[in-house]
Formats: sequence, C-alpha cells, structure tokens
Amino acid sequence: METTHPLPFDSFLDKMRNPASLDLVRSIKSFIVSFSFNVGNPENDGKRIQDFFLTTEAAIRDHPLWAGSTDEEIDNALEGLEKYVMTKLNSRTFASSAQDVKMDREISEKICLLQTFLRPEHLDIPVVLQNEALWLLAEKELKKINAFKAPREKLLCIMNCCRVINNLLLNASISEDHVPGGADDFLPVLIYVTIKANPPQLHSNLKFIQLYRRQSKLISEAAYYHTNLVSAKSFIVELNAKSLSIEETEFEESMQAARLVNRVPQITSPTIDKISTFGKQTDPGPSTEMHKRKTNINDHHIAILGSAGSNYPYMEAEAGELTVGDVERLLGLYKDVVTKYNSLCNTVRHLSISKTTVSPASEGTNDLLRGHNGTSRDTDCKGE
Amino acid sequence: MGCASSLPGRSSGRLTGLNNAENSGVPDAKNLRVKLVLLGDSGVGKSCIVLRFVRGQFDPTSKVTVGASFLSQTIALQDSTTVKFEIWDTAGQERYAALAPLYYRGAGVAVIVYDITSPESFTKAQYWVKELQKHGSPDIVMALVGNKADLHENREVPVQDGIDYAEKNGMFFIETSAKTADNINQLFEEIAKRLPRPSSS
Repeated sequence: METTHPLPFDSFLDKMRNPASLDLVRSIKSFIVSFSFNVGNPENDGKRIQDFFLTTEAAIRDHPLWAGSTDEEIDNALEGLEKYVMTKLNSRTFASSAQDVKMDREISEKICLLQTFLRPEHLDIPVVLQNEALWLLAEKELKKINAFKAPREKLLCIMNCCRVINNLLLNASISEDHVPGGADDFLPVLIYVTIKANPPQLHSNLKFIQLYRRQSKLISEAAYYHTNLVSAKSFIVELNAKSLSIEETEFEESMQAARLVNRVPQITSPTIDKISTFGKQTDPGPSTEMHKRKTNINDHHIAILGSAGSNYPYMEAEAGELTVGDVERLLGLYKDVVTKYNSLCNTVRHLSISKTTVSPASEGTNDLLRGHNGTSRDTDCKGE
Repeated sequence: MGCASSLPGRSSGRLTGLNNAENSGVPDAKNLRVKLVLLGDSGVGKSCIVLRFVRGQFDPTSKVTVGASFLSQTIALQDSTTVKFEIWDTAGQERYAALAPLYYRGAGVAVIVYDITSPESFTKAQYWVKELQKHGSPDIVMALVGNKADLHENREVPVQDGIDYAEKNGMFFIETSAKTADNINQLFEEIAKRLPRPSSS
C-alpha cells in the first residue's frame, strides 16, 4: 500500500553521502549528465529512466551499505532514487516538448470556458453527492500537483483527491442511503472536480507520472486512480454538447460567451489606462454640473462612484447636446465600461469557482537536489 | 433496488494480512494477481456485485481495500493457490463509453454485467463483448453476468438468451443477485479457475 506520510528521503541522502556509496553516486550522476545532454523522445526517455531505476535497484540490493536491509528499507532507497533523479532531470523531462506545452494550454483554456457555466446537473451528478466542502478539498489536493517534482508525490496528489471523493461517496451511501454507484458516481464527480480545480499542466503531469513513476509502483489502486484522471482529461478534451446534459444551442452560446469574457480584458486592458488619463484631462462638460447636483443628493454614492463618475462625463448628457466630435470619446468610454463590466463578471465568477489558491511548494528541498527549475508554467485562466 | 445491506465496516483492523503479491508486483504461480474490469450499463449493479463479493468474504487473512470504485479481494482456491482480484469499475453511462479502453487495457478478466429486467442493458452487454473481442487483449477471460436475478417476476431477458449468447462467444455465464448474494462467490471462483496459470504458459 502507498502511504501518505513523507518517506525518509534524508536517510537516502545520508547514505549517498557515505563514502561507501561513491560507486552508486558516480553512476547516478553520470546517468543524469549523459541524460541531460541527450535529446530524446519522451517514450524513449521513459524507457531509459525505467531501465536505469532497475539496474540501480539491483546495485542497491547487492550493495554492502544495504546488506541485511528489509524490503521496506530498500524500497525507501528506491523512492529516494526516483525523487533524486527526477528532480534533477525535471526541466528535461517535464512538459519539455512544445506539443505538451500546447496541450496543457489548450486543456486549461477549455476548462476556463467550461468553468463559466458548467453545473453538476450537466453531468447528472445526483444531489446527494453535491458537497461543496468536500469538492473544494478534493480540488485543493489536485491543485497541489505542481508543488512537487517527484512522480511519486505528484501521484499522491491524485490519490488524495480521489480519496476525498471516495469518502464523499461513502458518506452519501451511509448517511443519505444512496445506493453505492461505484464508478458511475465516482467518474462524474472527478471530472467536475477537475474542471473546478483546473489543475496546472494536467496533461504533462499525467504523462510525467505515466513515464517516470517506477513501474512496479504504478499498479493496482494507484494505476486505477491515475487512469481515472487520464480518463477525466480525455473526456474534457473531447467534450462537446453531446457529452453533457445540455441543449446544443445553450452549450454553444455559453462557450461563445465564455470566450468573449475570457478574452476581452486582455485585449483592452491598455485602453483602460489611456481612457482614464484622457478622461481626467478633459474639460468638464455640461454634464459635470448635473453630476455634482446628483452627488450632493447622495453623498454615500459619491464614495462609491466618485472616481468612476469623472471618467464618464456623458452620464447626464442629452442626445441633442452631442456633436460628431464626441463619437470617438463615447466609443472609448463605451469600451471602457464594457471592459470593466466584463472584468467584474470575471472576478465574481472566479470568486465563486475557485475559492482556493494553490499552496506553495512545501517540500523540504535539499541542496543536493536543487535543480535549475522553479519557472512556473501554470496557465491561469487569463494569463498567457 | 441496489445493494440492500449495510456498508463494509472493514476499513480498520483488517489490513494485516499477508501481502506478498502487493509490493513485489511479481505474482508467482501460487499467488496470482489479476486485473478485472467491470463493464455494463449504469444501474445494473456492477458495484453492488463487487461490494457483496468483498464484504462476503470472511477469511481473516484476506486483505481488503475498501474504496468506492476500486476494490481488491483475495480468494483462496482448493488447490491452495490464491488469487488477488484488483477490480476496476467503469462508469456505465453512455457519455463515458469512449473511455473504456483506458480501463480494460491490460486487464486479465472482463466481467460484463446486465440487468435481467432490462433488455437494453443486455444489448449494451453485447456491445461490450464485441468491443472487447475487437480491442481487448486476446487472452482476456470474459464472463457474462445477468444480475438482479432476485427480481425474476420482472424478468425480461430469458436465462436461455444469456446462456446462448455466452456460449456463442466462448464466455462463462452466470446469473447473480447482489441483493441476496446468490452466485456472487461462485462468479469469482469460476473466474479464478479459468485464469491462465503462469507455470503452464
């Protein structure tokens, strides 16, 4: 069984610092160096690293430093080996191809669109399984996936997420007398949680685990939950109106609206600054007096709208007062308002969808292990 | 409807059994480990069959992992071999049908379940059989299971239809009731007997 507590990685490092292990350390370091300088394809990389794990495993089993060790101690050493090698080779093996990066971005962007309108009913998730608190917990576990560099730890994030969902299903069957639906219940909830979480680099993380988790460990329950997330990912990639309980037109319209909402703030954000400066420089038009009169009536309102009001000098204007020269400014202001409105909608939506933040890397890292990475490649909903 | 008894209360205190096949990943001739995938329409009682199987075993040395959609259970056969079933449940709703290959890849056993009161679920079962014949591993052991046999008053799929279809396709056939536990153990014991032994291959 996989355990959730951290393995004694330090004891592995201690052993590696022991002069008696010099031969092992040399072999590991030379593998890392030769691997770093070779450009390969991911499938081949996976095989090379798995083969290296196996030969090193044999070497450790025969090594005097591990003489008389239990299977568990050997296993700890092998987990340490996996973590050490994969942390060192992280930038070379994780999301390293342009294709993977593209795939990650596309999935993340599609999820962003889906987040704007997808409801549990669209996946026919029964009401008894709709537990916001537990869903949030499951999302948090999944979002932690990039806080770790070793395949084992990334896999644990998936396992923990799935365990939370399983607990939810178990609770529902005990307290709500819900007939246990097994995978019929589990997969839709996992898909929904995945969409709500929009875990960073979903495709690359799954592929990384598949290729670089020690093969003898990606079996049984761990393999099952990994497969389920792979399955959730491909469902999301292929998702269209027919995949959901939704009218085709409603789906298309919602996707279209989501595309607009997600795009507008990026394109027009420079305009906001330009317009507000422009607005401040403008001579107060005839509307300002009316505006003042109104704010006198309700002081409370000025506090809220004060600065915004000065940016929108046409608020109280009559159609007859306008000239052709006003068109340009009006258009600019119109765009400004729409942009702000969309940003607001976006923010409100994000507040309701992702109430959680990704927890920072909490791993105790060791100098020996410091790779040259640390570049965050998370695609968030707006950023690119 | 469904699983008509209490939930497994085995999450604690039962995890101390032998687990030689667990960590080594290398099953020997006496201790087999096999991946079993469950296919069938949603609502036919796939997971109820498994839950019944898992909690129906009272061998104290068996190692039980209670989960909702992944369960494992070890049984001992008369010839003193043990078989550890790692049971992969799949979502039966139509919208997930295209994902099934991800689950049955590498499976040694496929159990295809239908509900004897639902001809649609029997049609769906036949679809899975054909799909596995086309895309599954060629030496996969397949079992066809007509579940909800206790609801014989509402039966719409005759026993003979199940027998005939299974025979034509070289499958093992059995009718079960997860509710009364009828034939549940027999199902898994029969499957275990049919597994290819590493020593003989």
